[in-house]
Amino acid sequence: MIEKKSYPIYFIFGALVLYVVLCVIPGLIGVGYSFTDWSSYSDEINFVGFKNFETIFSPDENYLRYLTNTLLFTVFTTFCKTVIGLGLAVLLTKKIRGLNIHRAIMYMPAVISTLIVGMIFKSILNPQAGLLNEFLRSVGLGSFALKWLTNSKIAFWSVMAVDIWKGIGYIMTIFIAGILAISPSYNEAAEIDGASAWQRFTSITLPLLMPTLVVTTVLNVLYGLKVFDIVYALTNGGPGYATEVLYTGVYKEFSLGRFAVGTSLSSVMFVFMLIVGFFMIKIMTREEVEE
Amino acid sequence: MKRFILVALSAIMLVSSVACSTSTPEATTKAAADSTTGAAAATTAAAATTESVKQDITITYMVSQDQLQDAEIALGEKFTAETGIKVDYQVIPSDQYVNLLTTKINAGECADIFSSQGGQFDIVSQLNVEKNAVDLSGESWSATVDPLAAAELSVNGKLYGQPIQDVSSVWAIAYNTKIFAANNIQIPTTFDEFKAACETIKAAGITPVYECVSDGWHHVLWFPEMGAAYEAAEPGLIDNLNSNKTTFAASPIMKQSLDQIKEMVDNGYWGEDYMSNAYADAAKNFASGDFAMVVANQGFGAEVEAIGGELKASDVGYFVIPLVDNQILNVNPVGPSRFIYSGSKNIDAAKLYLAYIAKAENLQYLIDNVSKNNTLPFSGVQDKYSDIIKTFYSTYPTHGTVLQTTVKYVNPQWMEIGKEMTALILGDETSDDVLKNIDKNRADQAAAAKDPSWNT
Repeated sequence: MIEKKSYPIYFIFGALVLYVVLCVIPGLIGVGYSFTDWSSYSDEINFVGFKNFETIFSPDENYLRYLTNTLLFTVFTTFCKTVIGLGLAVLLTKKIRGLNIHRAIMYMPAVISTLIVGMIFKSILNPQAGLLNEFLRSVGLGSFALKWLTNSKIAFWSVMAVDIWKGIGYIMTIFIAGILAISPSYNEAAEIDGASAWQRFTSITLPLLMPTLVVTTVLNVLYGLKVFDIVYALTNGGPGYATEVLYTGVYKEFSLGRFAVGTSLSSVMFVFMLIVGFFMIKIMTREEVEE
Repeated sequence: MKRFILVALSAIMLVSSVACSTSTPEATTKAAADSTTGAAAATTAAAATTESVKQDITITYMVSQDQLQDAEIALGEKFTAETGIKVDYQVIPSDQYVNLLTTKINAGECADIFSSQGGQFDIVSQLNVEKNAVDLSGESWSATVDPLAAAELSVNGKLYGQPIQDVSSVWAIAYNTKIFAANNIQIPTTFDEFKAACETIKAAGITPVYECVSDGWHHVLWFPEMGAAYEAAEPGLIDNLNSNKTTFAASPIMKQSLDQIKEMVDNGYWGEDYMSNAYADAAKNFASGDFAMVVANQGFGAEVEAIGGELKASDVGYFVIPLVDNQILNVNPVGPSRFIYSGSKNIDAAKLYLAYIAKAENLQYLIDNVSKNNTLPFSGVQDKYSDIIKTFYSTYPTHGTVLQTTVKYVNPQWMEIGKEMTALILGDETSDDVLKNIDKNRADQAAAAKDPSWNT
């Protein structure tokens, strides 16, 4: 009976063909090129084995730094966006005046183009005449007026802070949808039983929000690993190499005409994201089984 | 029937997608080669004429922010009025320009006209002009380009670029003569004298040097502009670098030069905000009197006067950068130039634009209205050198060409050297690291270009 109801297997062929042709084959071609010496300087393409990967993982190169920067960016921004986004979502699901205006304001950074955000924050964070340092000086906190984007020790933190500011609204909106989907009767019952707000949050809201949390984490992690635009717009990888991430590295290699090294970097990222994706899906399916 | 349609559609999608996705480099090369052939044919056909071009077209011109002047935009408007061809100037921040340009060229989707540094080595290794740019030898103005400048824009006797700005001008230290006089400072001839001058200026509450690292290119000038001094200290260095018989890392004089740059910064001669300053604000800041010196070319005095402050062009003097006790005038016949992209659909219109700019009266307009141009490398134009500039040139009878023009694979990694030098200044790298990384980048480019000196 069930067999009759389910669609025949060839129904997946269309989607499968598209997926293979548009995603798998180009991916494999890219991986293939990472074993060659493909460059803009020569029309010849020769097989060079793992030479490009040796270059990438060589301690003499900066690529490992790009990789650690990318991972730091991913972990830190995911954590901050989740915690702050969740906090805001909890606040903005209460009955407060002008609720939608508050939500709209918090969401607004997400709709502004990253390049524009970059330009605005470059101006705000200018150490000499930027809004932030001018403000700090005007309230007597001149010692906190730092070189936000030009000091190699803090530039990457500034970039991450701007990205968190921009990304929170989007994550908050998903959390709001998740919280609103939780039946109010659980909270009401707990309230009658004398549960405190914190107890209700940790014992009702948070557990029921787990599937949403997994979705936002996946989104944040994948975004973090792929980050390019905000770094490009704010610091272009500088000062020195302080804020370089993998995709600014790929872009640089491509612009220098070293296509093979660029595709090798992409391939490393591809494998890494595959592993991360695999475990994420594992966690997500485990949640579903438990439910 | 439905099943048949589904299968048929899938098959079509598969075939078309595969056809698109397997656009291999060979295919791209072939396409580019075809377009080059087309370009060559267009060139042979003769120089473009207004009649042969449709009136209602827009040509795109991708240019770095420091390489486009208001005067050229004004000429562009006149050009549009005369020909009907509109010019869309795509102005790109200088720190992003080189990466973006090479990416666009490599991706096969560049603007009709693009600006780039010239240089007989670099236009081959970095731009591959024989494939990516249009041969301009047949243009009426090509014979008027100064031979030295034309040589740096030519490959195998064919001219590919049109100079944008004055190349007679050199990157030297522009100084505020009033500040120097008030503090009784003489023009330094050694690095020690330069340091002493900086200390005096600093003690007077003025930042000695205006520097702008955020642009990515300007602070680099301190290092390769000293090429002739390096060659003088280590004769044969340039040839040996080009034939891969020596390296940057093996050169004590280049290490000394980098160490002196670091020493300047550590001593506070660049002030506090050198990391975030921009070269576009150099004249304004210099005119304010808060800074005593800046690395600039000889149009800088006019730019300072144009700000409208107390400082006039005659108050801005020049001396050569005295790192490693240099006293050689660092000349460079290479400068930013316009190229026409070989894949452009508007090659004839783009040629008309270049021809319009190269008209004698328009070149003169660019000399008279762009502060940094004292002349342009074309015949039939009138220069506007002031006395102070003439004095500067006559002070240094020995001339030598800069490193980025004489040594292969230096100019294409200009922005990379900028990053390395930033890391040096910030203490993240040593001068040895910087030199080694320059060598490594040179080796990478040479290997990719299959340079015989590196592959043997």
